[in-house]
Amino acid sequence: MVRHKRGDDDDSESADGKSHRDFQPGAWLAGDGPESDIAICTRVRLARNLAGFPFAPSLDETESERLYSFITDRLSQPGLPVKLNLLDLEPVDELERSMLVERHLISRELAASTRHTGVAFDTRESVAIMINEEDHLRVQVFDSGLQLDGAWGRMEQLDDTLMQRLPMAWSEEFGFLTSCPTNTGTGLRLSVMLHLPGLVWSEEIDKATNVAQKISLAVRGLYGEGSRALGDFYQVSNQITLGRDESEIQGDVMLAVSRIVQWEREVREALLRGAARVKTLDRVHRALGTLERAQILTSEEALGCLSALRFGIHTHLVEGFTAEAVNQALLLSQPAHLQRYSQKTLNPEERDQRRAQMLRELLGCTP
Amino acid sequence: MQYCTACQKAIATIVVMDLSEGSVTGSQHVCAECAEQLGVGPMKPPKLPSAMLEDLLGGLKTPPAETPRVECCPGCGMAPADFRAKGRLGCPRCYATFRTDLMPLLQRIHESQSHTGRLPSTMSEAPAAIDPQDLSDLRQKLEDAVRGERYEEAAELRDQLRRAELGEDIDGDED
Repeated sequence: MVRHKRGDDDDSESADGKSHRDFQPGAWLAGDGPESDIAICTRVRLARNLAGFPFAPSLDETESERLYSFITDRLSQPGLPVKLNLLDLEPVDELERSMLVERHLISRELAASTRHTGVAFDTRESVAIMINEEDHLRVQVFDSGLQLDGAWGRMEQLDDTLMQRLPMAWSEEFGFLTSCPTNTGTGLRLSVMLHLPGLVWSEEIDKATNVAQKISLAVRGLYGEGSRALGDFYQVSNQITLGRDESEIQGDVMLAVSRIVQWEREVREALLRGAARVKTLDRVHRALGTLERAQILTSEEALGCLSALRFGIHTHLVEGFTAEAVNQALLLSQPAHLQRYSQKTLNPEERDQRRAQMLRELLGCTP
Repeated sequence: MQYCTACQKAIATIVVMDLSEGSVTGSQHVCAECAEQLGVGPMKPPKLPSAMLEDLLGGLKTPPAETPRVECCPGCGMAPADFRAKGRLGCPRCYATFRTDLMPLLQRIHESQSHTGRLPSTMSEAPAAIDPQDLSDLRQKLEDAVRGERYEEAAELRDQLRRAELGEDIDGDED
């Protein structure tokens, strides 16, 4: 059986004395909020550029520096709806940058940028403003579960304040002007991260994602464009930003997401009935057995097992675990977090061993 | 009046002097045409301040009407080929410069070509409104700086003007 006790042989502190037990996850990983058994989190993103500066492709080094100080100066003035701390990314190394990507605070593009970039975010990690990305500003708001309304409301308030202190580039005809024409208009991207093991296991996932694609929504993996849907996690987001206003975009995303959520629920019920039930039980318990006993776990296998465990928790097939712990484990088993909370730099083999050990401790399974 | 010593036909207007260690060792009177053939043609007249001003203004000049349909963007210098290759715009003005290419692209991506939705309603409060008078003052200052051959100052003013025309604070004050 599963025991809820930490391993005594723990030696998992990192060089600065931090272990994964000190890890403070973003509030969006809390595992609460509407539909949180399926919808992990809601993300709202706005692309904004400042009038008076060329966009990123035409911005030279000097202007890029000027832009950075201009923005950070204005962001630091009091009066924002939420208190933000600025992280200057210039001195931040590759590992820390990857951690920020894994936490969704910055994009992979920003992490790879050689420009002077930065990110301003609050302690709850529910707001993050990227500076000097493909657009001068990429503003993000996160919420746990499916909360399009709530997240958009917070974003609207933040955007109002930002527009009062920063001269945005816009026109009546095209709305907010962005570097890439795919963001022109509202500059708005609404995404909901969904956990869809039922649809994947019953091989209905393609049909479900077609629902979204039919109304011009994109379905992607966990880390946005180009990333694979590991561990049955998908992101549904709007692609159209011009010619549809913010509430229409919200309506489109809500329509597709609620349809997919309902579909996932129906499929889950079917997986728990009749002959399917024993197969489902087997799948969940094999995953749990692996998490309890495995000594080597690749990132992909870990995500698969955690996905099955998450399914097991929400369908009451297993007890004694919290959704929050599984959500945290999903993040902590990512390569950068795993290394950050380990004693030393690990080669891929050591990483897989460390991952197996960390997951056992985190989930309270002592072998 | 003297005839050209080279062609013996035209009137000589140029004296070519041979110099050796600072002193004249010989001279030749030639016409303008022969001088050019000898590679000692008349010097181009020095640039007038207005020509220098034009050089300094560079991209700020409006392209003449007879130029090809799509020029580089006057706002940021992005070439049409760059925009087509990368699919990224270089500045707000690019939206007008590359309009012909952009409109069908927007239609394909968004099934629409114009915005409905939020706009900065509080724009007047944003600290970047440009007074046209400030712009013309800046242009005057730039011209004066060029006339007075204060080129460093002129270059700074040119940059300020360029930024201001893009819609930014003129005085460079970032408060």
